[in-house]
This record gives sequence, structure tokens and C-alpha cells, in this order.
Amino acid sequence: MAFDYSKYLRTDKMPTLWCWGCGDGVILKSVIRVIDELGWDMDDVCIVSGIGCSGRFSSYMNANTVHTTHGRAIAYATGIKMANPDKKVIVITGDGDGSAIGGNHTIHGCRRNIDLKHIIINNFIYGLTNSQTSPTTPKGMWTVTAQRGNIDPTFDLCKLAEGAGASFIARESMTNPTKLEKVLKKGFEHKGYSFFDVFSNCHINLGRKNKMGQAKETLDWIDSRIVSKSKFEKFTPEEQDGKYPTGVLRQEEQDEYCDMYKKVQYASQNNEQVKF
Amino acid sequence: MAHMESPQDTPVWVNTNNCKACNICVTLCPAGVLGMIEADTSILGSTISVDYPDSCIGCNACELSCPDFAIYVSRKKDFKFAKLSPDSKQRADQIVNENKCMSIKGSQNG
Repeated sequence: MAFDYSKYLRTDKMPTLWCWGCGDGVILKSVIRVIDELGWDMDDVCIVSGIGCSGRFSSYMNANTVHTTHGRAIAYATGIKMANPDKKVIVITGDGDGSAIGGNHTIHGCRRNIDLKHIIINNFIYGLTNSQTSPTTPKGMWTVTAQRGNIDPTFDLCKLAEGAGASFIARESMTNPTKLEKVLKKGFEHKGYSFFDVFSNCHINLGRKNKMGQAKETLDWIDSRIVSKSKFEKFTPEEQDGKYPTGVLRQEEQDEYCDMYKKVQYASQNNEQVKF
Repeated sequence: MAHMESPQDTPVWVNTNNCKACNICVTLCPAGVLGMIEADTSILGSTISVDYPDSCIGCNACELSCPDFAIYVSRKKDFKFAKLSPDSKQRADQIVNENKCMSIKGSQNG
């Protein structure tokens, strides 16, 4: 016997529309396995995705799904969660979706600490529209909008989430699905805003023009950029340059937004001020 | 846990309808079990073949890293897997080296 994904998938939509070897599929599998492990009922799960290759994520999951407008997935998800505080809302965005056009929604989701599971599939490029520079594209890479090499500094999304006040922050890569599964499980169990920066590969639109045409070559390149959190802390600042720590980077208890909103409802019904 | 029945006495099997021939499983397999064969109807003109099922160690690396729900590995309690032998290790290294000059790379580098 082997793990059966078909219960959680819209199997009539298989095979997926993603390119061969796309990391999105691996992340989709990991999310399914974590949902299975936690025993969540798919009627209680809502998958919200934005625009981009990652936006296809909601089309393949056999749950309540919303495929929203570009960058606004967090805004939709906030509404869904506020109306149904007992349901589980998982938000999938890409790096362009979650950090560029939707960056403001991401920071305010983090700040409010609303109970969303926000997975940013970070493939370092605008893949769907054919290789434009995204906020996370590494310096020196060829893209169609930076044909002499990208000069923009790279965005560290976990530091952004930290500054904005998310209560659970983790970074992992799809090159290690077992670790990814563990981190996702911890975050899914956490009450509050769970922010995941998941490194993924786009060997078609990033790799081919940067001498990593095979899927495995891009995976090796991603592996060379990540290092576990404990090792990273022992590095000197020179060694830390260009490397990204993985694992759970922050986990703390904070007031959750839906709970706080219930206090507002109570205060309003009793004509008094909110008590903290 | 949701589980599917496996074909009888099979350590690893492939859903060729879903396979897009990205080659990840072939390069990741530590025992050189998998290979690529030509398949005219497939997306990149090839698909996975399970060449040496007897060498499979049941590590699950191929299944976990397959983005297309195409490859499945039996559970360790359902099938008696082999141990990693020097022969299969050598074959795995050879496959990785051969992949670097395979014709499929030309089509992917397009």
C-alpha cells in the first residue's frame, strides 16, 4: 500500500498544468500529507490562492477553494476567516503575489496575527509571465527585464514577516520534502498567523537562462543557498551572506485577531469598551 | 490515513498518465532503480521505467520529490525491500553522469 492522494485531489484535473519538475507539485503533496496527518475534514478547509503558477494550487485541492485576484489572496482570506473563525484557511501565494503586488496585505495579515496559514511559494522569478525580475530574484541573475544581470537586492521575506509581527515564521525548501512536512505541521497546529517562506524551483524560466536547465541542477542551486538555523547562527557575518536559515525561525503566542474581534462584539452588545 | 492498494509484489510503480519526464526521481534514486524510456505520447517524449525493482531500498525519495503524482512506493511493512548494495550505488552514480549528456537535456534547455 502507498499513500493515496486522490482523496484530496480533483483527479479530473490531473496531470497538473505545471511544467515538468515544478516545485509547486511537491509543496502540494506536502500540504496534503500534513492535512491527512492532522486529520482535518476537507469541508473545514479553505484554500485561497492568488495569481501566478502558485494560483493553480487551489484548482487541484478537493476542498473549499477560492482563486482570487492578483496579490489580494490575504484580503480575501481575512474575510473568509472572520466570517468562519472555526474553519482552517490556507493561503497560497507566489513570491510576486505575496511580496510585490500583495506585499501590503502580507504585512497587515502578519500585524493582525489572524489565524491564517500563509505559504509563499518562493521561486525567485515571475514564472507564469516568462521570467521578469521578482523581489526575491538573486543579484546577477538573467531575467527578461534585467538582461545584463539583476541589480536589485534580494528580499528576505522572513525578516519582513518578523518585523510585521507574525507569530509563526518558518523557512523551508521543497528540496527536502520530509523537513517541509514537519515545519508545515508545526505551523498548521499553531494558532495565529503562520508564515512559511518555501523555496521552490523554476528551472524553466529561471534555470534555463542561468545555466541550470535541468530540474535537478536548480534543486542543487537551492540547496546551496539554504542552511539550517542552528548552523546559520554559528556562521560569521561573511559566511552568512547569501545563505538563508531554514526551520522554524519564530514561534510565540500572541492575541489572535478573531478572538479579539469576539471581544469587540461582546463590548458592543454590552455597550462598553474592549477589555484587554 | 488514506491508502491505496499496491500492485502485488511491487516495490515501486508509475502512473505514466501523470509523468512528465522531469527526471528528478531518476537522479535522486540512491539505488539506480529508475530509468527513462522513450514514449511517443508523453509530454517530453519519454517516461519513467522501473528497471531494477529488486534493488529498491524503499527510501521514498522518488515519491516525495515527484511533483506530478506519478510515482508510488510501497510501505516498508508491506514489502521486503533490498539493502543498498555497492552495485546499485555504482549504477546510481552512472545514471547521474549519463543524465548530464542525455538528449532530453537538449529539449529542456531549448
